Amino acid sequence: MRGLQTLAWRTLRARPLRSSLTALGVALGVAVLTASLATSAGIDAAIDRTVADVVGRADLRVAAFLDRGLSPAALDVIRSSSGVALAAPAVERRTFLRAPIGSGPFDPVTVLGIDPAIDAQVHDLVLAEGAGLSRLGERVALITERLAASDGYQLGAELTVQGAGAPVTVRVVGIIAGGGPFVGSGGRTVVVPIDVAQEAFASDGVSRADLVLAPGHTAAEVVADLDARLTSEPFVISSPRDIAESLQASTADVQSTTALVSVIALFVGAFLIFNTLSMTVSERAREVGLLRAAGAARSQVLGLVLTGAIAIGGIGSLLGVVAGLGLARAMAIYVGSLRGFPAEPLAPGPLPTLVAFVIGLLVTVAAALEPAIRASGISPVEGLRARLDLEPARRAQLRWLIAVFVLIAVAGLLTWPAAAGTNGAGRALVVYGVLLLATLGVPLFVPFVVRLAGLPFAAVARLDERLARASLSRDRSRTALTVGALTIGLAMVVALGWSAQGAKAAASAWLADVIPGEEVVTSIRPVTPEEGVTEALVAVPGVHRVTPIATFDVASGGVRLDAAAVAGANLASDGRLNFIAGDRNQALAAIDVGGAVILAKPTATRLDLGLGDALPFTTSDGEHLSLVVVGIVEHSIPGRGGEAILVGWSEATSHFDVTGADFFAVRFDFGAAGTARPALEAKAREYALEPNPLERVQGSVTDALGRVYGLFDAIALIAVIVAALGIVNTLTMGVVERIRELGVLRAIGLSRRQASRMVVVEAGLLGIVGAVLGIATGLVVGFLMLILSGVPVGLAGIPWASILTAAVLGIAVSIAAAWWPARAASRVLIVRAMTAE
Amino acid sequence: MAPILEAHDLTKRYQLGETATDALRGVSLSVEPGEFVALMGPSGSGKSTLLQLLGGLDQPTSGQVILEGQDISRLSDDAATQLRRERTGYVFQAFNLIPLLNVRENVALPFTIAGVDPSRGEAATRIAEVIEVVELTGKERHRPDQLSAGEQQRVAVARALVTKPALLLADEPTGNLDYTTGTELLDAIWRSSDAFGQTTVLVTHDSKAAAYADRVLVIADGRITDEIVLGRRSDHAAGPLIARLAQVGL
Repeated sequence: MRGLQTLAWRTLRARPLRSSLTALGVALGVAVLTASLATSAGIDAAIDRTVADVVGRADLRVAAFLDRGLSPAALDVIRSSSGVALAAPAVERRTFLRAPIGSGPFDPVTVLGIDPAIDAQVHDLVLAEGAGLSRLGERVALITERLAASDGYQLGAELTVQGAGAPVTVRVVGIIAGGGPFVGSGGRTVVVPIDVAQEAFASDGVSRADLVLAPGHTAAEVVADLDARLTSEPFVISSPRDIAESLQASTADVQSTTALVSVIALFVGAFLIFNTLSMTVSERAREVGLLRAAGAARSQVLGLVLTGAIAIGGIGSLLGVVAGLGLARAMAIYVGSLRGFPAEPLAPGPLPTLVAFVIGLLVTVAAALEPAIRASGISPVEGLRARLDLEPARRAQLRWLIAVFVLIAVAGLLTWPAAAGTNGAGRALVVYGVLLLATLGVPLFVPFVVRLAGLPFAAVARLDERLARASLSRDRSRTALTVGALTIGLAMVVALGWSAQGAKAAASAWLADVIPGEEVVTSIRPVTPEEGVTEALVAVPGVHRVTPIATFDVASGGVRLDAAAVAGANLASDGRLNFIAGDRNQALAAIDVGGAVILAKPTATRLDLGLGDALPFTTSDGEHLSLVVVGIVEHSIPGRGGEAILVGWSEATSHFDVTGADFFAVRFDFGAAGTARPALEAKAREYALEPNPLERVQGSVTDALGRVYGLFDAIALIAVIVAALGIVNTLTMGVVERIRELGVLRAIGLSRRQASRMVVVEAGLLGIVGAVLGIATGLVVGFLMLILSGVPVGLAGIPWASILTAAVLGIAVSIAAAWWPARAASRVLIVRAMTAE
Repeated sequence: MAPILEAHDLTKRYQLGETATDALRGVSLSVEPGEFVALMGPSGSGKSTLLQLLGGLDQPTSGQVILEGQDISRLSDDAATQLRRERTGYVFQAFNLIPLLNVRENVALPFTIAGVDPSRGEAATRIAEVIEVVELTGKERHRPDQLSAGEQQRVAVARALVTKPALLLADEPTGNLDYTTGTELLDAIWRSSDAFGQTTVLVTHDSKAAAYADRVLVIADGRITDEIVLGRRSDHAAGPLIARLAQVGL
């Protein structure tokens, strides 16, 4: 026997259920952490790959600010920059293909016009079939495999591109593999020579130019050169890193919340380890006393307990890493479907898995340290007594719990996803801190809540309830730790549910606040006034008002901002927008006149502007323009990256090169929506516009939010499962401790069923207590999460569904966890029980 | 020859909340090398407490315990651990064995704790020797749950003797055994004392067990009230002791 280590192994094997459940708890916590780290790493890698696909060998991308694109003169300036070796121009527009007779309608496509000779030096297009484009002027096209499959195209087929100019028919000569290296097109892309695209869209501008730098020149030099020389029209320069960062920013919220919930799952796992090892130490006190009497040093006893913990932690962490990699694949696919990233998940590198394994092991050892130190402090005399003195143990446990949770918080911060940023980390710390306080407060509330929770049971099973309560009171710290774990898991269910409810309500309210209509009719291209769409839609019987709205980018102080052109009078008569500064009627009238702008509150705060301040812009001609802030609203029309600055149509068309509306908000006559809607939608489709009721738009937004929060709920559920494992351990330990009591009860007539029921009632009490405390804690945490994310609590409403879910889940999980211990209790052999130590 | 063990005016007070209990009220004694001494008294007399102090398992409230010339009453935890490892062997009334270890492993426990490989050299020889002394040869691979109560206690005696301690302390070792089994155990303890000169202190409330001793110290109410010298006898007859106890009113 090699020292006492063999005893440690045998102790683990002698208690297979407890050891397995504890290892499983560690595994679940580590699995979630692994999945979170691997998903973040996978997302980062997917983003890098996406950017590499999109940007190719380009070092910089110069993009047009305005719809009309960069002019030929601007392109010449770019090409003539000394630091530019190659400039690959591209035209990118969204449009519809003319559907063959008897088929369609099909979804819109992205048309990408390129200079084949130059573009091939910067970008790679992997073809599945056919040949690539060879020169300008040819009426040929490449299409993606996905587009070919969905719309039924094949090599040699003809398709017709519809744009502002005359329709252009091209022949398919090649099919690009999969969805092609294009972001945001949904895999539906048509690639044509650039002059063909310019003909179709009746414009000689280009959407962007990808630049390859000349040797010895830096990006900074080229940027400075273009800033100095290209002053006639606004443009945006971005590097591959900039593009990657903007893609990462869109996943920040998912990554940060996933990281938080996974840290909490680990937190719950630590509870399980701590509780289990504390139980083991209490159970083995006499054995420890014997070892100490035989001359074992404190350090040897410490080593004995820690060896067991390291074994459990090692096995659990290894299992967790393997399970986590599988979970990561599922999460990557899910996140990819939400954000438009490549669906196939990338295999994470060894670092995330190693980090998760090490953290799992460290947390196990940290959680085991206090029980180990306590064991090593058992004197021979104390160990040989019937029971240990529990009070000093409880105080030490409290101190050590705090230390373990601080360690987990530090581990969480060290592995925090970079994309989530410090704000996300700050919010997570606040939530974590509240959960820690709730955990520390659980022992104060448990006795009272147990008594209350027992009332319904006492009414129908008085003996069971009294015995169950007595069992829970036998070791209050053990009960508190078990309940604490369940409390945290259920608190996250409630908090996330409330947070989701709030986010959905805020999103719906936002749209209802700002859109002046019940129907939204969208166009994939700007609809000019000359096309008469507004008039045609207003003419539909039952339509009260049609408001055209354009969304576009503006440059202010070198920064890109979202903007929207609106008819102020329409918004005024429709009662839209919640003004928090400025007079509604005056402000909306002012933007119609011109020289004025209305800001959303977040934008005003970010730019540090108030009523009456001037906001400077650079116009499409490169001139400077100042607009006065005449109103500040709670929310504005959603833009690409935030809330749009509102200007009048005259401003938009005169200074910002806006040519037409991107969507129309339609208000029906009172009570006429039912009859007018079908006619309106039919009319909209005649103009190749897509109509959607506002509720459907709100629904798709809330559905998307629901899917994101569904991911978090799944992870929170894992925390609840880990807590359930702790309940199994606690109840099993209770049965072992009470075996003589059970033997006596059985000897005097308690049936097997009654013995089993006693354990189930105990589990029910744990579940009710955990649910009550979990719901209360979850409401506090949810409240904080709403406040920190700026969602009004009143808007969110009480999360009754989440509360009910947590209550049912808490009790159901606890009673399910009682199955094995209840079975053990019912199978106690009376004779053996009476002679047990 | 100097005594191997001395106790000078030992007291032990237990504070339980607001009440204090004096388990020992000034006990002094000495034990010669190789002597077999029994501490006898009714339940609650302080005999187990005295044994714990003599063996270094606990510290007195006041007084001294001298073992082989060294004061062991105020040792640090490390030093007390070393004492228990090398110079004392302890047998308890119950729960003497580690359930997950077999007979040989339980007996070898002091060597294992000390980092000595019990499968080789002197350690292996000594283990086999003490197993033979307690007449358990052939049962080395048995686990405790495969042994009778008496056999378990004999294993505990073997473990206590394996390091040739200066002092063997036994606290009611026959308390859970029947008469025959208890006799077998006491025979084993006496054999080690007689054959190997093992100094032994035995706590018991049973006069038949105390009769194995060379000398019996009677404890009552935390004090030694009487001393009965029986001398080394191979028949262990309890008659003289019982008669003497009757004379002193016990």
